[in-house]
Amino acid sequence: MIKMYDVVVIGGGPAGLAAAVSAEKNGAKTLIIERENKIGGILKQCIHDGFGLLKFHEKLSGPEYAYRYIEMAKNIETLTSTFVTSVKKINDTFHFNLVTKDGLLKVTSKSLILSTGCRERTAKQIFIHGTRPAGVYTAGTAQYFVNIMGYLPGKKTVILGSGDIGLIMARRLTLEGAEVLGVYEAKSTPSGLQRNIAQCLDDFNIPLHLSKTVTKVLGTERVEGVIVSSLDETMKILPNTEEFIECDSLILSVGLIPENEVAESLNITLDPSTKGPYVDDFLMSVDSKGVFSCGNALHVNDLVDYVSESGEIAGKNAANYSKNFEKNSIKEKVSIKKGNNILYVVPQYVSKESKEFILYFRVNKVMKNKTVIIKDTENIIFKKKYLFLKPPEMEKIVLKINNPSQLKLEVI
Amino acid sequence: MLKKIQKKLTKKISKDIICSEENGAIKLEGEVNTWNKVYLSGKIAANSSYRGVINKLKVKNLNLPSISKPLLKDTKLQNKKVDVLIIGGGIIGCSIARELSKWKIKTLLVDKEYDLAVHTSSRNDGMIHPGIAPRPGSKKAIYNSRGNKMYTKLAKELDIEFNRTGSLILYDKWYLKFALPLLKIRAHENKVRMKFLNKKELKKREKYISAEIEGGVIFPDAGIVSPYKTTIAFGESAAINDVEFSLDTIVTNIITENNEIKYVETNRGKLYPKIVINAAGVFSDEIAEMAGDRFFTIHPRKGEIALLDKKKGHMLYSILSKPSLNFKSTTKGGGLVKTVEGNILAGPTAIEQPFKEDYTTTPEGLNAIINKHLKNIKGIRKTDIITYFSGIRASTYKEDFIIEKSQKINNLVHAAGIQSPGFASAPAIAEDISKITIDILKEKTRVVKKENWIPKRKKILTLKDMTFEERNKLIHKNPNYGEIICRCEEISKGEIIDAIHSPIPATTVDGIKKRVRAGMGRCQGGFCAPLVIKILNEELSKDILEITKKGKDSYMVVEETKRDDKNV
Repeated sequence: MIKMYDVVVIGGGPAGLAAAVSAEKNGAKTLIIERENKIGGILKQCIHDGFGLLKFHEKLSGPEYAYRYIEMAKNIETLTSTFVTSVKKINDTFHFNLVTKDGLLKVTSKSLILSTGCRERTAKQIFIHGTRPAGVYTAGTAQYFVNIMGYLPGKKTVILGSGDIGLIMARRLTLEGAEVLGVYEAKSTPSGLQRNIAQCLDDFNIPLHLSKTVTKVLGTERVEGVIVSSLDETMKILPNTEEFIECDSLILSVGLIPENEVAESLNITLDPSTKGPYVDDFLMSVDSKGVFSCGNALHVNDLVDYVSESGEIAGKNAANYSKNFEKNSIKEKVSIKKGNNILYVVPQYVSKESKEFILYFRVNKVMKNKTVIIKDTENIIFKKKYLFLKPPEMEKIVLKINNPSQLKLEVI
Repeated sequence: MLKKIQKKLTKKISKDIICSEENGAIKLEGEVNTWNKVYLSGKIAANSSYRGVINKLKVKNLNLPSISKPLLKDTKLQNKKVDVLIIGGGIIGCSIARELSKWKIKTLLVDKEYDLAVHTSSRNDGMIHPGIAPRPGSKKAIYNSRGNKMYTKLAKELDIEFNRTGSLILYDKWYLKFALPLLKIRAHENKVRMKFLNKKELKKREKYISAEIEGGVIFPDAGIVSPYKTTIAFGESAAINDVEFSLDTIVTNIITENNEIKYVETNRGKLYPKIVINAAGVFSDEIAEMAGDRFFTIHPRKGEIALLDKKKGHMLYSILSKPSLNFKSTTKGGGLVKTVEGNILAGPTAIEQPFKEDYTTTPEGLNAIINKHLKNIKGIRKTDIITYFSGIRASTYKEDFIIEKSQKINNLVHAAGIQSPGFASAPAIAEDISKITIDILKEKTRVVKKENWIPKRKKILTLKDMTFEERNKLIHKNPNYGEIICRCEEISKGEIIDAIHSPIPATTVDGIKKRVRAGMGRCQGGFCAPLVIKILNEELSKDILEITKKGKDSYMVVEETKRDDKNV
């Protein structure tokens, strides 16, 4: 017997758990599929605090935050250590092939929520050259070594990239007795949140070097050092600025890439600026109805609270979609265009019938005292002043609309 | 002859070079100021009737790092007597080992690394060349065409993936078509099948080929294997048939007496072989020198290679290359290859360099690959690259294989100077080296063939390629096959455990990667490396701190974190 669900959620991290809880609450028969042996996603290894300020109005550690949702989801059917090998859409029904320790399994569903999170960009994807010794790890892998396994990936570490995980790891490694020689950032401004710069670097006297990057790794068996070069404003390497730094490890925090291989297998095109599917305000893919996307698979978020929020939206709408499965028709949509200085906007489309929805966006450079406006054709329907706008910080707007015809977001 | 070359070197390179004759070869000594001069001198000397070049030229102020050696020192092999000692666990050594395993003799293969196929044999494109490139009559030409044919049967026996996809030489200017008759003559001389393809026919075979391509030639007999999996398969087949393997074993000296090798010194004891086979790749000239039979020089030629995300794999079917018209280009060769695992591979470049183990990659090399090859397929980009690496060809100045019984040392056989098309040639080289070896051995002792030789070797199961029923059955038998460890390549814990317990066991993170691909996908081991370490730790009963990436002291983690119990 092939089991049929209203909603199947791929990925049991913060987005997937929130989505499943919200789908179930809205009356959908829901299944969570998680490839690891425990649900909770990357939060399991994020033992630092600062999670949940928006959602629960208190400071929680990653595992504590995850636990809140694990409790809420405890009655939802969940398959852990389960791997999705393929998803096919036949007559609007999704057919899944799963690998589990108990054998292969097939399930079907009316709708699908992709909460597959993201992976880390590697040394090769940012074109670092030199040798290939042991001791070059992405920050997440290093975090797994330290927080889950209890081992140090190195004792004298250079961190490349000032993304949040890199900053968190700088502090974490220091606390565990490793020497963090410095955090290097190719851009002229840090990539991580300001609070992490203060709490993870400044408080521990770890230097942050801006406009500098690692160009070469040295060492045969283990890392023996790295070459660091300065960059100009256009991120070009400045000649004769090479500097040798002796170290035994290089930790990279150079960006996250939403994991959307399942989406791509369903012929869903990805937005080049978010690397996630194009969605409407229901967080449903505009390429394939019944497919919802949320969390870091949709776009890389800065706070887990937003990840959960997008999960809730996707879960609720997937449940409603499944309920009205026979009657679902494609709703008329209008696009939300990116104007000046906008890196991306999510969702990229909004249903004409919608009255209110949540919009997330990021800017493409640091700006002071600017106004963000949203136009519907020529009429300004939203206007807000910002003291600061920074690419690392995601912004959220709750937008009220009335029969829009053409939306555009820009910074003036 | 000697005087003529001396004059030429004085005129073209430097007056500080001294030429002499030694062991039938021409020897160069002295000091020059660049590596390029060393290389060019060797090339000039090679253009002579001497059988090889002993290039001992040094570069002023250049201190080369010494060969990487195992850290291990023990007496495991002390006073061991074997019939045949093979030095080198690359494709050549391993295919010879398998060939010799057909005989009732004691064969030992040693390699200085932690695994087989660590150097050149894991650092190439895995192409089974059709045999068009070598100069007609050269050893390369002969062994390539013989070896190529052998792969059909070998792939079945060794249970390796082998795709005879054919290879294409493309041209993008209409006038280049006038060079084609020359190609036809070469094909005829080397007995290689070929066929002309027009734009339309090309497009039919390779849907995503760039619009600039005007036409091409196909060599249908070209194919692709996984170079490291194939090397390991040969090794395992030999191991199943009682060839002994000793890894982490470096030959440090060879002691001869009356033109005969008496014993061989290693870091693991003194060995007494009846015959020694030199299959030491880039170090084969140094092994020859230890045995007092130096007559050639390996000049390391590096090739950088880039590997693209599997997502783009469907955009290529076979092997493409577009010869460059710029003869000064260092990337004359190379192309795009569809690996047996479905990735597109681009490269290699060709750069002469002094150090035999310099596997660094460079922005220049990678950019050369990108600019030259990626544009031949519409829709592949720099951002599709998931990793890149380099390998070093074991080229001699004569640029041909050395496959012969030593002319000086009675019990030494050389299988040296094997560069491209070495992979295609390996099985044929192994046949001949084995024959030479057995003939020498027969003079010393009675040698008979094994009656119970096992031709078949089974590969590690690849569950993702199985049918639903097969895969389900296996998981029910062993739940480890149902636990996915490498998410990018869909590799289960069971497959990784199989690799650890295979005939030549994987004992390192890279060893696992080469056998079952865990860590070879787009995340490059970011997610699975810690899990692989844990499996190695459990299966080998080895402390996590002792688990290495690639042997020696390439430890994955360095220390335990602070623990409460330590502070009590």
